[in-house]
Amino acid sequence: MSDEYNQKNTPLEAQSSETMTDISGTTSKDIDYVRPAELPEQDLYHGHSFITKWVFCQDAKVIGVQYFLTAVFTGIVGLVLSWLMRLQLGYPDLVPFITAEHYYQFVTMHGMIMVVYFLTALFLGGFGNYLIPLMVGARDMVFPYVNMVSFWMFFIAVCVLMASFFVPGGPTGAGWTLYPPQAILPGTPGSNMGIILMLASLSLFVIGFTMGGLNYIITILQARTRGMTLMRMPLTIWGIFTATALAMLAFPALLVSCIMMTLDKMLETSFFMPAIIQAGEVLDYGGGSPVLFQHLFWFFGHPEVYIVALPAFGIVSDLISVHARKNIFGYRMMVWAIVGIGGLSFFVWAHHMYVSGMNPWFGFFFATTTLIIAVPTALKVYNWIITLFRANIRMNTVMLFCLGFIVTFVNGGITGIFLGNVAVDIPLSDTYFVIAHFHMVMGVAPLMVIMGAVYHWFPLVTGRMLSEKLGKWHFWFTFLGAYSIYFPMHYLGFIGVPRRYFEMYDSPYVASATGMNEFITVAALIVGFAQFIFIYNIVTSLSIGKPAGKNPWKANSLEWLTPEVPPAHGNWGEKLPVIHRWPYDFNVPGAKEDYITQTTPPSEVMSAEVEKT
Amino acid sequence: MHPGIIFLGVVVGSVLFHIFTPWWWTDIASNWGAMDDTINLTFWIGGGVFILVCLFMVYCIFMFSYKEGRKVEYKPEDHKLEKILTIATTVGVIALLAPGLIVYNNYINTPKNALQVEVNAWQWGWQYRLPGEDGILGTAQVAKITDDNPFGINLDDPNGKDDILIEDDVLHLKTDRPVKILLRSLDVLHNYYVPQFRAKMDAIPGIITYYWFEPNKIGEYEVLCAEYCGVGHYAMRAKVIVESEGNYENWIKEQETFSDLIAKQESNESKLTLVAKSND
Amino acid sequence: MSDNSLNNLPGGFKGMSHDMGSDQTAFKGAQWGKVMMWIFLLSDTFIFSCFLISYMKGRTSTVVDWPNTSEVFSLHVGGVPVPLLLIAIMTFVLITSSGTMALAVKYGYERNRKMCGWLILATAIGGLTFVGMQVFEWSKLIHEGVRPWENPFGAKQFGSFFFMITGFHGTHVSIGVIFLFIYARKVFRGDFDNAKRGFFTTMKSDYVAIEILGLYWHFVDLVWVFIFAFFYLW
Repeated sequence: MSDEYNQKNTPLEAQSSETMTDISGTTSKDIDYVRPAELPEQDLYHGHSFITKWVFCQDAKVIGVQYFLTAVFTGIVGLVLSWLMRLQLGYPDLVPFITAEHYYQFVTMHGMIMVVYFLTALFLGGFGNYLIPLMVGARDMVFPYVNMVSFWMFFIAVCVLMASFFVPGGPTGAGWTLYPPQAILPGTPGSNMGIILMLASLSLFVIGFTMGGLNYIITILQARTRGMTLMRMPLTIWGIFTATALAMLAFPALLVSCIMMTLDKMLETSFFMPAIIQAGEVLDYGGGSPVLFQHLFWFFGHPEVYIVALPAFGIVSDLISVHARKNIFGYRMMVWAIVGIGGLSFFVWAHHMYVSGMNPWFGFFFATTTLIIAVPTALKVYNWIITLFRANIRMNTVMLFCLGFIVTFVNGGITGIFLGNVAVDIPLSDTYFVIAHFHMVMGVAPLMVIMGAVYHWFPLVTGRMLSEKLGKWHFWFTFLGAYSIYFPMHYLGFIGVPRRYFEMYDSPYVASATGMNEFITVAALIVGFAQFIFIYNIVTSLSIGKPAGKNPWKANSLEWLTPEVPPAHGNWGEKLPVIHRWPYDFNVPGAKEDYITQTTPPSEVMSAEVEKT
Repeated sequence: MHPGIIFLGVVVGSVLFHIFTPWWWTDIASNWGAMDDTINLTFWIGGGVFILVCLFMVYCIFMFSYKEGRKVEYKPEDHKLEKILTIATTVGVIALLAPGLIVYNNYINTPKNALQVEVNAWQWGWQYRLPGEDGILGTAQVAKITDDNPFGINLDDPNGKDDILIEDDVLHLKTDRPVKILLRSLDVLHNYYVPQFRAKMDAIPGIITYYWFEPNKIGEYEVLCAEYCGVGHYAMRAKVIVESEGNYENWIKEQETFSDLIAKQESNESKLTLVAKSND
Repeated sequence: MSDNSLNNLPGGFKGMSHDMGSDQTAFKGAQWGKVMMWIFLLSDTFIFSCFLISYMKGRTSTVVDWPNTSEVFSLHVGGVPVPLLLIAIMTFVLITSSGTMALAVKYGYERNRKMCGWLILATAIGGLTFVGMQVFEWSKLIHEGVRPWENPFGAKQFGSFFFMITGFHGTHVSIGVIFLFIYARKVFRGDFDNAKRGFFTTMKSDYVAIEILGLYWHFVDLVWVFIFAFFYLW
């Protein structure tokens, strides 16, 4: 890609009037009018060496891929940890090195990796970086340098996290919630170096993410192309935008609790530490409040759930619309639902703490807010399935993953209503019901979207299609396998099997639960191995996949309309695209084709009866 | 095979699993049947929504699979439909929430005649303290805990003298009498949980938390720690024995009070000093 | 901005909804960097709020009495304890530096390089004085035996929260001071007049950077007002 458009940098008025004549040259000046550009062209740094092009790269697309690969690497570590846990639960004593200490370390690292370093980084760092500039029609993120630093901070955070596997005492085994006092006291594995590295890594992650998050928000707010109003943005961007906004306001609570806990650990302050007698010894703590940590943690932790879920909501809406060849139903309501869920998510955190010993009167308030959030969420589900109604559904791998998402998300969402309703939560909290619920709703469901999104956007990133045949095998193994892991698991919770139990011994529950535990373990191993089909598919398709060409899915949104595929640095070649409509004009009555891209001016599709633009 | 068939199979399979599952509630042994009822209610409404949504989805993918030139509906918005769905969902949510809040209100308001039982948790075990004849537990502090005073009872507090101390993990309760469990922890978070009683609450060092239930079925129940508390979490079990009033009274008579304990220690000490003197 | 249409936008709430509904930018005429600083400060507000709320919770729920702050923070002048003396001076210095910063922004936009540079330097020196006095106060308290983990005057949380929160705020001030010195150098060198490209970012320099730095500086001052109120006046 040349530097031409940089050097040109014509004065603004001249440039916009030039574009104007372009349009008015066709038919009608009025109906195709788009306001002139407000901002001068972005000034980009073009890397010349290998290092500036691929390693310390300032191109958001490369950074997105870097985020993606790093997150997937940590995700695979998390996957292996889950196998080890499942082996212990299904077949106790089969693997001799899984002691109780190790088991709890695996539980903790699996949880933290999957929630923060895998899902959050993948959705916002990976998809966010790649798609935001392309979908809003920007040349790049607004601060490419800061964006690069953001990735490398994340990379260091991952390195620090992984380093904790190799320090004396091993990684922390405090559970991913890191509740004090237990997290920093002996009696919990990794309570020396492990917990310190975990807290340091989380702090680094927050700092790195803030840099990236500022980029995402400001690119969406201030760097959209001509004609791209907020209400013409794809829902993917709405999801990522709202999730990033949540992250900017929720991660501070995590950072503060990390700082305070680090001080409790290293300087023996007593922020979260009351008077404690451990193993007959009076510790040097006193006067602190363990519940305070839980409030801070869940003030981060609940929005975090939506930081993962909202991009998934957005992406899946786009995938469904494109592959069902129909506009997404109720776009405006979808947008307001995303924003509403995001806003409400700051007022529900204590539903994780119904049995934590906080003031019991909070239960009424938080149960009510939690169930209110169910309304916009349910509306989103209705809109997805109504989009499928009277559509023209391509039953390809992408659509299968979307359908898988709907099934698992509805299932997990409804079990969420159990847990959000305080009286129902009391018998179920801290049991396997909780595990099954959150894996279904924020594990499997977002993963379905991630995989669908990879099948969908792989042709854009690499210029080649993924194998449909392998993709379908991958889908059925993953979907049916994951469903058969987590659906029966709810029933373990009904029996009353508590979570985070290394072994059940001869409890009355054991006899009936053993068989199911073995089944779940086998299913987990199969689902895990099925992911290697996916990896194999990606690796082989890179070289032998069918060339995709331009816009293979016949989508409308901007990312498919770049002059080059895969898009080059600067995305748009000479001129920024001009937007005339929302991205969901599929099968518009009167139009010749079954899709009208966002850049198609109204004068070119005069006969189409477009309703929403 | 059409993928719709498999998705249909998933829905039907889920329903069949639910009907024929051998895994279900442990039989309830307390007054919290209302909790089970709210769960069942949530199950009916939620399960119904799940089935309807999935069946509608399956219907769509059967009916509208890709066909070149199929006529597709173009309808970006339908305010009436959206309004109906919003209202219906809101009604459903209220139907779920209201009974839940009523049950919760009962859960946090302990009846006046409840028997108080203090549960002391530590890594990794349990012990109990019951009020003596005065019906009031003496105040206690973690900092006052010594070998001679395993509960850290304030020696100045007269209410504590007749407290019954059970340095064992087996708790006896009488049937049909509400129990208020007061939870204390010496070190980290714990949770005193008996699946059959349905109720639970975390024990937090530094403060006293509570919950209540009324055991109504004679038998032995296993207590599980339900809040992760370190490596020994999974082994932190105890036992509750629910028995008739007569048996309970017999058991309580055998237990030691705090003043008994002090007296015993004093006599031990005087014996020790006697021994020491005779050795001189 | 060069686009004329930006000069006659509707104002008030209507204007806001108009801007949000329009294309390209949601905040008309606001530089990317300026919007970034605002959003960063919003995020930072949450950090300080979490700290201060934790402090309130810690202070109200501690079992040992909180020390009498007007005694702990008093200075002895000629043998007489004067409460809030040091802190009044600190606050005065910091607020004054906000004033010089605002003037620096004004002269920056007027392209008055000299005045802008000197005022930034004055601001930096104000910040430095503040940090210096904070160091003095810390060393006084440490000398009297207050530590993050213990406190001879009462609840040990006093030391923990005091050192943590003022330390976190002091770090903000120190970072601000470093940037003020860097920007003062840039101003004197004429980077903003010549639109010199940044060393790392390769972006063109512009006087709006002074305003962005000013936003940060005012924020740090504002946070101090809250810390002052909650620690010294409560």
